[in-house]
Amino acid sequence: MLSQNITYPCWVRIKFEKMNVLKFISHLDLCRTMKTALTRAGIPVWYTEGFNPHIKMVFSLPLSLGTESVCEFVDIKITEHMDFEEIKSRLGAALTPDMAITEVYYPKMKFQDIKYSLYEVTPYEPYDLSVLDAEKVMIKKHSKKGEIEIDIKERIKSIEVKGDKIMILGCADQDHYLNPEQVMALTDCTDHRIIRKEIYNERMQIFR
Amino acid sequence: MVSDKILKKVSKPGRYIGGEYGQILKNKNDIKARWAFCFPDTYEIGMSNLGMRILYGSLNSYPDIWCERCYCPWEDMQAQMRENNIPLYALESGDPISEFDFVAFTLQYELCYTNVLTMLELGGIPLMASERGEEHPIIIGGGPCAYNAEPVADFFDIFSIGEGEEALPEVTRLYIEMKDAGTYTREAFLHEAAKIPGFYVPSLYTVSYNEDGSIREYAPIYDDIPTKIKKRIVEDMDKAFFPEKVVMPYIETVHDRIMLEVCRGCYRGCRFCQAGNLFRPVRRKSVEVLNEQAKTLYKNCGYDEMSLTSLSISDYPYLEELCDTLLCWTEEKKVSMSLPSLRIDSFSKELMDRISSVRSSGLTFAPEAGTQRLRDVINKGVCEEDLMNAAKIAFGGGKSLVKLYFMLGLPTETNEDLKGIAEMAEHVLDAYYTNPDRKKGGKPPQVTISVASFIPKPFTPFQWEGQDDLDTLLEKQKYLGSCITNRKIKYNWHEAKVSRLEAVFARGDRRLSKAILEAHKQGMMFDSWDEYFNYEKWMEVFASVDIDPSFYANRHFADDEILPWDIIDIGVTKAFLLREKKAAYEERPTPNCVEKCSGCGANKLGGENSCCPKI
Repeated sequence: MLSQNITYPCWVRIKFEKMNVLKFISHLDLCRTMKTALTRAGIPVWYTEGFNPHIKMVFSLPLSLGTESVCEFVDIKITEHMDFEEIKSRLGAALTPDMAITEVYYPKMKFQDIKYSLYEVTPYEPYDLSVLDAEKVMIKKHSKKGEIEIDIKERIKSIEVKGDKIMILGCADQDHYLNPEQVMALTDCTDHRIIRKEIYNERMQIFR
Repeated sequence: MVSDKILKKVSKPGRYIGGEYGQILKNKNDIKARWAFCFPDTYEIGMSNLGMRILYGSLNSYPDIWCERCYCPWEDMQAQMRENNIPLYALESGDPISEFDFVAFTLQYELCYTNVLTMLELGGIPLMASERGEEHPIIIGGGPCAYNAEPVADFFDIFSIGEGEEALPEVTRLYIEMKDAGTYTREAFLHEAAKIPGFYVPSLYTVSYNEDGSIREYAPIYDDIPTKIKKRIVEDMDKAFFPEKVVMPYIETVHDRIMLEVCRGCYRGCRFCQAGNLFRPVRRKSVEVLNEQAKTLYKNCGYDEMSLTSLSISDYPYLEELCDTLLCWTEEKKVSMSLPSLRIDSFSKELMDRISSVRSSGLTFAPEAGTQRLRDVINKGVCEEDLMNAAKIAFGGGKSLVKLYFMLGLPTETNEDLKGIAEMAEHVLDAYYTNPDRKKGGKPPQVTISVASFIPKPFTPFQWEGQDDLDTLLEKQKYLGSCITNRKIKYNWHEAKVSRLEAVFARGDRRLSKAILEAHKQGMMFDSWDEYFNYEKWMEVFASVDIDPSFYANRHFADDEILPWDIIDIGVTKAFLLREKKAAYEERPTPNCVEKCSGCGANKLGGENSCCPKI
């Protein structure tokens, strides 16, 4: 797409990583970090209008604390043209390598279309997946309505052992969000590394 | 560093990971001296400290010095570290602090002392200075409490007295030179360090006591070290080291914003105020320099909030010009400005309009005392009319909340003065209802009065005063509560037990070290946190080491008594403080430094862009 056809402000999607120690940073803290980084980078971001202007940012699905990711997304609005490569390099320089910017482009899909998320688990302890063989696996979950019971099996689309890794494909829509930590908690393996590798839409197309 | 497995078990693991944008990493092979700069409280509090930001930047500006950060782990993390044999480490390198050349503690408030011991212990460093050998780091303390650090003197090798941005690199240079020349031993280094202006090596001074428990003498053990340690100041704030880069915390900290240091010191001379004396002479930065520094910080931090910091910001003579200059670009960049520490007698509509502060619906002022008589005693220098004026402006400008700070237990205080606090709050409320400009149909007005207990502090005209005993303080709090009848007045008070313990340490001497050591042995820490503060346990600790806390907190010290902090020279003389004490009892205000020099003595320290007469 040529930039002269674009009207500003215009939405831009930024794909980034949240690796290593950043697994301990909450979603809210991530938002604050992105906000100051956009300013440091001098990206011509659009501010909300009104009494208390702030940078307009929309994040894709939040990551559970303790999980790393190579596919996080944030949408921002820019008020004037800036090359995507330049946004990528400027923003990257305003962040630590653990929060590397991997791609900048015009959004292709909507965040509401996100349906599944793929996790790569590296267990550092013996684990036992057999508990997941049951038809239903009920676990307790804290929600706004207090503690509720959910069937975690409903939320696992597939689970597969590949060498020393376990690949878990889980639901990622708001109402049926699978937290891979909870799956691993059932397998008696408390020491592990989990990385979100990819997210998909309903038809298993890679989210863009 | 620490494994994920451990971090997943503790609350707020983001405190322990380091790796922030802006942290300074260096190659160990290029480094001749390593500093672990410790803040003896949580990460969130320590990361908000401007002094630590400055010193971190200053030390790291030298290619052969590497300064890292370290904070006090929360109790759950301490347990994990002990269980898994993880020694306290600095955030940048993850190396144990015991491997560093210097381990520094900034002492911002008295109730952090047990945390210092907690951190030393977690670091595997002997707690007592006398037990440390050649293999251990030099433990150095600084910050406001270092001006009377006698209660922790046994745990420290050196104290840095005064402003450290020039002094700390100097002492490091001495260390490097002695190491390079092969003349370094711990003993030789401490002896040499004691000769650098602004460094106090407590082990080189012996203290003897009179029979009544007061101090007989401080005697240096060498002839070639000073009998009094003169505090260090940075003479020219425009040329002072300025940290252009800031470590950007991932997790939310207490002050998560640009802090623009406008000036040091305060020329008002309130008689209870320690900072007002410690940081004299007043030194200011120029508008041009401040504007450049603000732009640099904005570019390097990306914060959308900027706080102009100073002990009394509205006394900065070029404040309007500064605000206008900053507003030229902050408005466009959507950076909001806030001004803490506003004085009621210099608050104007213009000033309020300049500080957009749209995010707050309230303003805070500190009249400190409820009657004019008592305000004259403490030399606060504001009158009720000033407050009413400020309240009118605030209400007229759409604010509905006014917060007022007071102190209780001030010298010469009577019930009349306490009642005056309640009356003042009433008058402020009246100012709302009689204000024709007030916004109709808005939020109902609220006046909050926040009352702290007076703590006699070293280096103030009230340093000789005994604090009211605990029962009196509690009675006074209750009496004031009974004077407040209007439900639109909210009444908060500080825990008097906390203030009492602060008073003990503030005016304490070396003998208190054994109490702090005992408290540490009993697992006490985070005394400034409500959930940890345990007054009764502290009283047991004092009793167990045979110390009477009222000797320090409640006793009136004699005018001619040798005080534990007499060994420190802050510029302001004892003769001046005595004159001020006398004036207080005569209810006689002293003009501020801009009106007339009262000869406090701080001008002999020098200082550019100050209001002091040159010598």
